[in-house]
Amino acid sequence: MVNENLVKDVVKEPYKYGFVTDIETEKIEKGLNEDIIKLISQKKEEPKFLLDFRLKAFKKWQKMKEPDWAALGYKKIDYQDIIYYSAPKQKEKISSLDEVDPKLLETFDKLGIPLTEQKKLTNVAVDAVFDSVSIATTFREELAEHGVIFCSISEAVKNHADLIEKYLGTVVPASDNYFAALNSAVFSDGSFVYIPKGVTCPMDLSSYFRINSGDSGQFERTLIIAEESSSVSYLEGCTAPMFDTNTLHAAVVELIALDDASIKYSTVQNWYAGDEEGIGGIFNFVTKRGKCLGKRSKISWSQVETGSAITWKYPSCLLLGEESVGEFYSVALTNNLQQADTGTKMIHIGPKTKSTIVSKGISAGNSKNSYRGLVKMGTKATGSRNYSQCDSMLIGDQASANTFPYIKSQQPNSEIEHEASTCRISEDQLFYLQSRGIEFEEAVSMMVSGFCRDVFNQLPMEFAAEADKLLALKLEGSVG
Amino acid sequence: MEIIEKIKTNKSDDDLTEIQKICLHKLQSSPLPNPKSELWRLSNKSKLSTFLDYSVNEKDSKFDTPYPKNSKSTIRLIIGENCQIKLIEKNYSIQQLSENELQKYIKEQISFFKQNENWSDLLNLSLSCKNNILGLKINGSKIPPIEIFSNASSNSLNAKTLVIFLEKNCDVELLQVNLGKENSSLSQSTFFCLKENSSVNHGVVSYGDNRSNLLNSLNVIQQKNSAYNLGSLHFKFNYARFEISIKQSAGNAKTNIKGMQITKKDEQISTYTKIEFNGPNGFLDQINKSLADDKSHAIFEGSIIVPKIAQRTDASQLSRNLLLSNLAQIDTKPQLEIIADDVKCKHGATISQLNEEELFYMRSRGITLTEASKLQLSSYFQEIISFIPISKDKWDLLDKLLNEN
Repeated sequence: MVNENLVKDVVKEPYKYGFVTDIETEKIEKGLNEDIIKLISQKKEEPKFLLDFRLKAFKKWQKMKEPDWAALGYKKIDYQDIIYYSAPKQKEKISSLDEVDPKLLETFDKLGIPLTEQKKLTNVAVDAVFDSVSIATTFREELAEHGVIFCSISEAVKNHADLIEKYLGTVVPASDNYFAALNSAVFSDGSFVYIPKGVTCPMDLSSYFRINSGDSGQFERTLIIAEESSSVSYLEGCTAPMFDTNTLHAAVVELIALDDASIKYSTVQNWYAGDEEGIGGIFNFVTKRGKCLGKRSKISWSQVETGSAITWKYPSCLLLGEESVGEFYSVALTNNLQQADTGTKMIHIGPKTKSTIVSKGISAGNSKNSYRGLVKMGTKATGSRNYSQCDSMLIGDQASANTFPYIKSQQPNSEIEHEASTCRISEDQLFYLQSRGIEFEEAVSMMVSGFCRDVFNQLPMEFAAEADKLLALKLEGSVG
Repeated sequence: MEIIEKIKTNKSDDDLTEIQKICLHKLQSSPLPNPKSELWRLSNKSKLSTFLDYSVNEKDSKFDTPYPKNSKSTIRLIIGENCQIKLIEKNYSIQQLSENELQKYIKEQISFFKQNENWSDLLNLSLSCKNNILGLKINGSKIPPIEIFSNASSNSLNAKTLVIFLEKNCDVELLQVNLGKENSSLSQSTFFCLKENSSVNHGVVSYGDNRSNLLNSLNVIQQKNSAYNLGSLHFKFNYARFEISIKQSAGNAKTNIKGMQITKKDEQISTYTKIEFNGPNGFLDQINKSLADDKSHAIFEGSIIVPKIAQRTDASQLSRNLLLSNLAQIDTKPQLEIIADDVKCKHGATISQLNEEELFYMRSRGITLTEASKLQLSSYFQEIISFIPISKDKWDLLDKLLNEN
């Protein structure tokens, strides 16, 4: 019999990103109404089309109901008790990193994302977002030489308004769902990426999201456009300090891939998950969707979800272009009282489209981990294929693992395969490893890492190592 | 509301049984299932309203069995026609349940009912009058196979209820046949209680006629060490729902389910299964097949629920679907809800058409395309049909299915 307490001890590592940066911030008053939205828009000096977009979304949001179909239980969110804009005070216009408040740089340094010239990560361009604003974007000049635009979405609104107007809200319309509508109304910052025709982005692009203030929500918006025959790999990381209150994070990510383009979007989500009693933690309601518009285009989502008290997230692919490809690789780890309802949607519209789903869920403690996915073959999706695999691992007898795959086909000349399994850490394997002199915790960690291998293999190198470490840390103390 | 008024027409409150009153009362607050709920979301609303359109028929309609002659080796019962039964032989006995036993059991079941999940049962129990409820207590061994019929008559809405207690150590083969008539609706609810160490091979064959509708609900409770094997087949219904709910009340039981539904024209047939393990060491092996042709729609939703108490549960569920036409559609949603950690649970789902390579192989050996597809279909059907008891020798289900294709 595996010692329950021992396993429990393997997941107990304290959250090391839980510190608060003491910095003067500019906040607007709590609450949400048209005036607040106008104020946000005004602060960001936005053109009229964007203000209209926000107001329209707000009207729709007011008429919508918060969804309750997910297998999640959380206390009601008071949307009037949230600050919708919070930014660290700094000089009006920053021309170089030297002018960024050193406290901010230090914060990101501490998070392992150095931004300064000497220390910045080689070969990864970073856009650092602190509460509602983007602080800095590295390697901009180098990227500009290749014609790649990588900047915060607020800058893009000013400098590339045509692209924003053309693409914003085309993948995730403002009325798509409750949280997308909310985001469309109040989004503060986020990243914008434009890869011109025929360009392979010379380095990985990355956004790092940091929530610092306890009473403000974070509503970022990311838009990535890959023109014909271009390709890009984009990484996203997130952390937040420990607060006793729940903070709302409702983001929208839109990807657009034209003919022969490919986008790889990787996330390591490590928001504060609340303490062992389930107090505090981030409520993470995210709408991520990619549109494979062009022929032979490809969108690949990979994610490692270890944080957040509540996760509600379904990165999806709309496969419109002929022979386009959608992929989803996910590891979701829940511990203590965390709840995750995550999965993907693969909507096959064009002919000969292909999609692969690999989802690994690990539930420990009293947590709840659900996979919810949709695979749909439309009437024109001849010769299309889907393969899905969802595995769950249960650690301890209090955790729950659910699988809800929705499969719909209207095209006989297509194939869908789905398989799911649930297991626990096998005692035989543990015994074998231990009898070879491997410590119990290390053995568990090896097995979990092996269980997630299919997904980790899809992550960019820097992330894979981090994810592996993160998982080992998170699991510390939970296997037993 | 209409449906409640319809049931009450020409009836004073005195004519209604206590159970009918309870169920009508429950239906009063929401007479129709919530179309947005997961269980009714995909159900065709207009077809459901056609189901309810017919007037209620309580008389039994003597029907000429279009089926094989009754052989001496089987016991044949028709719900509504011969509900008086008392068979006491040397090794076994089949007796009617007493009024008390029946009432008590059904009432207990109703107390667990939920509006959307058990709407079909509530409707059935509000509709079915005393004559159309058959309650049986089966005891003993070496029992000859039993066939039970439930039929609808044209242009009417019929409700039949079957309650079966399988006593300890009892072992039986039972085939239930639900017959749809042209332009008719049949509501069939079956309650099965398997006592310790009992085992049953249960077959359900539901087969309709032009424009017939069916709501077929099956509630099974399995006590320790019981074995429940179900083979089911639904075809030729304008609209049919087969709802299966199985509870292993204390675990340690075995359940095997092999079901199939075939839809053509603009038919819609759906299967919903819910299997709950309320004790350790439960076993489930389930396969559900669908075949959708023309403009039809086949639906399968299966949920497996493994609470903390159900350690060492071994459950597997497979949904295999064949989509044969551009206008047909298939929805499938196998789902697992697990809290116990020491379990083996898996599910799988596939949707495809006939295997082209196999077809090519057969054609290259000189078999015509039609023959080759028939061969493939027959192997697809055979797995399920061979699992349906009694039918093998008498019913020629395979021929029926293939020749109609």
